[in-house]
Amino acid sequence: MNPKPWWAKLGHGSLMLLATVYCVFPIYFMLVQSLKTPEEDVFGNPFIVMNPTLENFEELFERKSEVRGFVGDALRRSYPFLDWLANTLFIFVGSVAATLVIGVAAAYALGRLRPPGFRWWRRAIFAAYVIPQTLLFIPLYQVVITLGLDDSLLALLLIYPTMALPFCVWMLSAYFQHLPREIEEAALIEGASRATAFFRIILPMSRPVLVAAGIFTLGTVASDFMIASVFLLTPNNQTITAGLGTFDVALDELAAVAGVNLLAIPVVTISAVFARGYVRGLTAAMVEGA
Amino acid sequence: MSLPGSARRREIRLAYLLLSPALLLLLTVLAYPIGWELWTSLTDLSPLSDGPQAFVGFENYRRFLGDAEFWRAAAVTVVYAAVTSVAKLALGLGFALLLARPFRGRALVFLAIFLPWAYPAGVSVIGWYWTLNPPTRTAYAPFMGHLKYVVDGAFGGGAWAFVSVILFNIWRGSSFIGVLLLAGINAIPPELFECALLESKSAWRRFHLVTVPLLKPFLALGVFLSLTSAFADLANVWLLTAGRIVFPVIGTHAYWLVIKAGQYGPASALSLTLVPFLLVVLLVLFRLFDPWEENPA
Amino acid sequence: MAQVMMKDLNKKYDEVHAVKDVNLHIRDKEFVVLVGPSGCGKSTTLRMVAGLEEITAGEITIGDRIVNDLPPKDRDIAMVFQNYALYPHMTVYDNMAFGLKMRKFPKPEIAKRVGDAAEILGIQELLKRKPRQLSGGQRQRVAVGRAIVRHPQVFLFDEPLSNLDAKLRVQMRVELKRLHDRLETTAIYVTHDQVEAMTLGDRVVVMKDGWIQQVGEPLELYGKPANRFVAGFIGSPSMNFVEVTATETNGALWADTPGLRVKVPPALAGRLGAYKGQRVTLGIRPEDLRIASGNDAADYSFDTVVEVVEPLGSEILLDLKAGPNVIVARVDPTVRAKLHDKLRLGLHPERVHFFDNKTELAI
Repeated sequence: MNPKPWWAKLGHGSLMLLATVYCVFPIYFMLVQSLKTPEEDVFGNPFIVMNPTLENFEELFERKSEVRGFVGDALRRSYPFLDWLANTLFIFVGSVAATLVIGVAAAYALGRLRPPGFRWWRRAIFAAYVIPQTLLFIPLYQVVITLGLDDSLLALLLIYPTMALPFCVWMLSAYFQHLPREIEEAALIEGASRATAFFRIILPMSRPVLVAAGIFTLGTVASDFMIASVFLLTPNNQTITAGLGTFDVALDELAAVAGVNLLAIPVVTISAVFARGYVRGLTAAMVEGA
Repeated sequence: MSLPGSARRREIRLAYLLLSPALLLLLTVLAYPIGWELWTSLTDLSPLSDGPQAFVGFENYRRFLGDAEFWRAAAVTVVYAAVTSVAKLALGLGFALLLARPFRGRALVFLAIFLPWAYPAGVSVIGWYWTLNPPTRTAYAPFMGHLKYVVDGAFGGGAWAFVSVILFNIWRGSSFIGVLLLAGINAIPPELFECALLESKSAWRRFHLVTVPLLKPFLALGVFLSLTSAFADLANVWLLTAGRIVFPVIGTHAYWLVIKAGQYGPASALSLTLVPFLLVVLLVLFRLFDPWEENPA
Repeated sequence: MAQVMMKDLNKKYDEVHAVKDVNLHIRDKEFVVLVGPSGCGKSTTLRMVAGLEEITAGEITIGDRIVNDLPPKDRDIAMVFQNYALYPHMTVYDNMAFGLKMRKFPKPEIAKRVGDAAEILGIQELLKRKPRQLSGGQRQRVAVGRAIVRHPQVFLFDEPLSNLDAKLRVQMRVELKRLHDRLETTAIYVTHDQVEAMTLGDRVVVMKDGWIQQVGEPLELYGKPANRFVAGFIGSPSMNFVEVTATETNGALWADTPGLRVKVPPALAGRLGAYKGQRVTLGIRPEDLRIASGNDAADYSFDTVVEVVEPLGSEILLDLKAGPNVIVARVDPTVRAKLHDKLRLGLHPERVHFFDNKTELAI
């Protein structure tokens, strides 16, 4: 190939810059706000922070329930941020784990064991996406109450996996279906049982796709706001998302943005670490015989 | 036809066993609720009325047909879904094509494009809200206020809030679709692109004749996921407009009917109006994906 | 070390009867090749021996055990697949050690066996690599290595060389043969390539449509094909078939068709006598034809016209026409033949074959 002319390079470079700014700016903006002191928030330049401070983050953890003697503070609600953090962690880890376990089992069944009509099973599961789940909360509430999960984190653990499951089952089963069956057969001949072959061979070699499914689940779960706010009522039981939703905009802006970032940082870090794996996994699921 | 052997029968049994947790979960969390909604949509169930629940047939649906509010919500929903999907697809395709070839710094640009989706939307939507509708005391509030004033002036009150919903949806969705399409491009054998390079000198023709057809299944998948999320979108609209719905979509309209008016029947009917549209989209998707699903011998 | 017996073996899928009444006795230490076109049931047969396919009817014995109901892992076999089927997430060492680990061999023993196998196959340097870092030929060696470390009773090969390029295939073929001579383990080898079958097999089993067509040593199949299919399948370029009428002239039998008339050799005349006046198929291998010289009896020669000349270096292939019949002849490279030349071809009277038109069996 010929070396590109300068204008093509310049065009390419500026497109890159544009794309990057478009994607990152809102995140940068939120990050900057969360590092501001109230004074700078009011008087400073909105796009930069001159005196970065972590006091907004500290405030999240400090303000337990004591009310300081000052009118503004009296208006401010108290909240158990540490509980929220723990709850969120529990929900994220739990949902991803549950989705992967249930999804891998179903996908292995559909892609590998192929019961009669497995394609229709797969389509039926994927078709779950046509159901506007966020609009189902009245009957969902009945289910949750029947199961005794009212105001419990377990309710989310029940609902969240179903939001990511259809896509994960679809992707994983396509991947399993296209894996050369000889690899599993080789293991069977070498002395493995079906279970051993699955845990020692199939599962480890599927790591990229599992990562992709996990990241997709994390992204889906972390994006929910509605379910969390509808089903978690007591502050101690809430996740960060549900909790921040109860903040009052006018009074808690900075602390809330700090909370946003505090949740985002681990999620984004994990996603970034596995980002390449995510793409590889999606690709692997899409390539025949990958 | 011979009966399947005992080993195969065991395999099928195992398959159903492994499928059961997923099916059980979907039945509890999706099938029962959707069934309930179906039934309720044919009744006048309401927590506010004293009388027993009465079967009203298609009355709830019929009422919508003559309800200007419904048509307005439907129109807004369709426009919302269409505009965001087209924009997401265009941007996402652009991102994917930009990232398709190696260049210096690609890893960083890729990460940047991946971020909007990875950034937890449940909270970033709150961040967006405060960014676009800042409390009046912040430094950039006057600027945003001015923008809001201009947009609302041009399109009516609440327009700015709705624009912010659209922007947020596009911002996050284009990231997801970009990454999805990038994975799709990676899945296409490079020989096909090289072949195309020999066939035609025009980059546009190559794009049009080779890249798009090969990416069709992935584009279809992206469109479907984008449409479903937009159709069922409630949280973003609700949040970004702070519950002051000036441009109702079907989702918020139904939510409003339940929460404020306690009209379970009409609300259920309303929620379900979306399903047939999505089913049609899904069927098209399955058609597009069929060659992909067939098992290569 | 063990013999393998297949008794009335059948495999039926929903619609397809893939393997039909296969009876085969593979002796201890024997190298048997199953060969045939795709869909002939050879791979299915092998997979039934491996335990990867259920047996619809019949019986398979390995050593002195009936293995019908044994899972693959308990059959004491090893298998090499066409696509190598290496575990992509494991190093070459771990790939080869997997079976031994499954059977709970002590670590030092595993290391020794893997080391030995790697040495035999010349892959000691690759032990720490992952399969994706290997070339096709290297992967194939690892797959073979994985099979031999366990010292199984039977090796099963399912088209192991088909994914290699032509040159490497020849080289690996020789190595496999040497390996078998060294290990002296019973081996069943499936291929669609008749050259591989002929060069590797102590005995070759030709299959078609699920049936065994013929079992025999390579030269036996070549020299005495049991039917028209085997005759055409074995040998390259394949045997010429010409439909002729058996006619009697002056007390002698002739194979007669427009453009070609040769005498039926005395050795075959007795059996062919029953077909007098009927249509039969005459089969002549290209290498059994030569340019007729003065010594050739006119009874065993016929006139042809050259249509295509394919010089291969060590030999020349001639596409010829004898009347309407197309004939391929394999001749000496010194022959100078040009397009449209008229040539008289002679044949070896003792190397002609006749086949029944209906049953296709050799006469």
